[in-house]
Amino acid sequence: MIDADYLQFILAPQVINGLVLGVAIVLVALGLTIIFGLLDVINMSHGEFYAIGAFGALALASVGLNFWVILVLVPILMIPLAVLVERLLISRVFSTKDRHVTTLLLTFGLALIAEDVLKIIFGPNTHRPDTPISGATEIFGIIIPNYRMFLIGIGSLIIGAVAYTVYGTRLGAMVRAAAYDRNMAASLGVPVRLVYTGAFAFGVALAGIAGALLAPLYSVFPTMGRDFILLAFTVVIVGGMGSIWGALVAGLVLSQVQALASLFIPPVWTEPIVFATMIVFLMFRPQGLFGKIGHA
Amino acid sequence: MLDRLTISMRASHVIALTFFAVALCFALIATLLGDTFYMRLASEALIFGGLALSVDFLLGFVGQLSLGQALYFGIGAYASALVLMQVPSFWLALGGAILAVLVSSLIGGLIVNRVRGIYFALITFGLAQVAAKVVYNTRELGASDGIIGIPVININLLFFSFSAANPLAFFLFVLAIIMGFYLLAAWLLETPAGRAMIAIRANEQRVAFLGYSVRNVRLGAYVFAAMIAGVSGALYPVLRGFVSPELMYFATSGNAVIAAIVGGVGTLIGAIIGSILIVGAKSVIGSWTEHHVIFIGILFMAVVLFMPKGIFGFIRERIEMRMIRKASAPTEAKTSDETGVAGKQA
Repeated sequence: MIDADYLQFILAPQVINGLVLGVAIVLVALGLTIIFGLLDVINMSHGEFYAIGAFGALALASVGLNFWVILVLVPILMIPLAVLVERLLISRVFSTKDRHVTTLLLTFGLALIAEDVLKIIFGPNTHRPDTPISGATEIFGIIIPNYRMFLIGIGSLIIGAVAYTVYGTRLGAMVRAAAYDRNMAASLGVPVRLVYTGAFAFGVALAGIAGALLAPLYSVFPTMGRDFILLAFTVVIVGGMGSIWGALVAGLVLSQVQALASLFIPPVWTEPIVFATMIVFLMFRPQGLFGKIGHA
Repeated sequence: MLDRLTISMRASHVIALTFFAVALCFALIATLLGDTFYMRLASEALIFGGLALSVDFLLGFVGQLSLGQALYFGIGAYASALVLMQVPSFWLALGGAILAVLVSSLIGGLIVNRVRGIYFALITFGLAQVAAKVVYNTRELGASDGIIGIPVININLLFFSFSAANPLAFFLFVLAIIMGFYLLAAWLLETPAGRAMIAIRANEQRVAFLGYSVRNVRLGAYVFAAMIAGVSGALYPVLRGFVSPELMYFATSGNAVIAAIVGGVGTLIGAIIGSILIVGAKSVIGSWTEHHVIFIGILFMAVVLFMPKGIFGFIRERIEMRMIRKASAPTEAKTSDETGVAGKQA
């Protein structure tokens, strides 16, 4: 029998922490999975886009902008950067034979450069921006910091909006059509090139907004993308590369696994367990839990 | 009869021979100048060149991008270090490393070869990460500090022995081993088994139709590549006197991929020279700025975009053309092309 104190002070906060991490991971993984589902690109620089979003928020905050303005501004500023990357790098090698490998290598190179650029601009040290929403609320005797509650709320809102856009709108139908069969979609009048660029920019903007949102929680440093991206990759693989529902389910489940496992085993061992899950999935179910975007 | 691959490999041999001569000249000059720093740096670059060679063998010939080849480099290094802490015998350490890598790459090969293409890259990536984290968390293996204070040993060759602290002798020893790997890989590719590996890259299904066991060929190639990486890794603690979990991290695997791509995928020798170029560039650029990664990143991306065959792939093509022109029957050489059929990616 689990006693009430354990439930209230250890288990429940840990579930909440896992939920916050889960929402964060899903935001990053969504971008990754959309970019893969549509462009077939393994974006190795996705973690760096996440870091750029966090540093962007930091820089904008230092010139005195309001948190809410930053939250809108960061993803908007990320879009031109993403368009540039897609047009100058990815579309250039898109028709080559080994495009999976080539785009992976290109984005890997980009990640190296981006990380070093961040180090040059902001220095190698860790920054910790102030939490924009302070205080905590007590719900059923569980004390939850307000910012974490806000994160769960806004994260769910963004995830819902993405899912609605992809599955409920005309634009989303074009995106799914382009993912399913790009030649057929193109011949039916879908501007496939534009959809690709748009989807890439959208995914990057999602990573950026995740960075801006999580900066006060997980602190900001140039290599912050590296650790996070591994988890995001795991989520995308377990959920199914290119699946939006998969990213959502896998993200929430795996973050709970990580949060709850750390109650029973040393926290340093939770990471290998999560990565091992990824390997097991790659071995026995490489398509993941759910199918690819556009494939029903 | 000379097919295209044989000609390509001969062109590679020309580059390899030139490289070997340059390396010997370097050793001579460095010894005359009384240098030890650059000699040891070059030894380290060669050791990482072995890792890059291993990546190139898989990517260039079997068509599999491994993002976690540092796993076997690290296993070799740790096994060698653990033996050296007990017995100061190089050959025992080497044997231990070979055994550890053989066992682990057989298991690893069975895991990663279940998938193809991009999933292969991801699963090798994940496997190395898991192993690195396990090593990082295991106190018996020194955890995050790694194993330090590995004694300097004497390496016994049949008729004489030398100290691993002797920079010239150790450099020549490493050079011999890495060039040996190059020759071994080149020889393997000329055997029927090697041809089957190359055929897998071109069209895996047809290899199965021809009666080869695709699984065994893939596994064989994987274990062979892991061995090259592992033995190179076994040399590392002998040179530096320590091992750390960083050896298994993605940064190490990634550097090997960069070296292989910049040097030239599928040239074998390009990967080795590429590794030396990267280590050299790091050391030179690193002497006036700590942000050398940016230059290497730009160089790497430029090569991927504008010179997909890599620096030595580009040079080798020129050498090949001269060879074909010189050959008495120039038409014959063009018939079979190992890169002709588009590889099936998952």
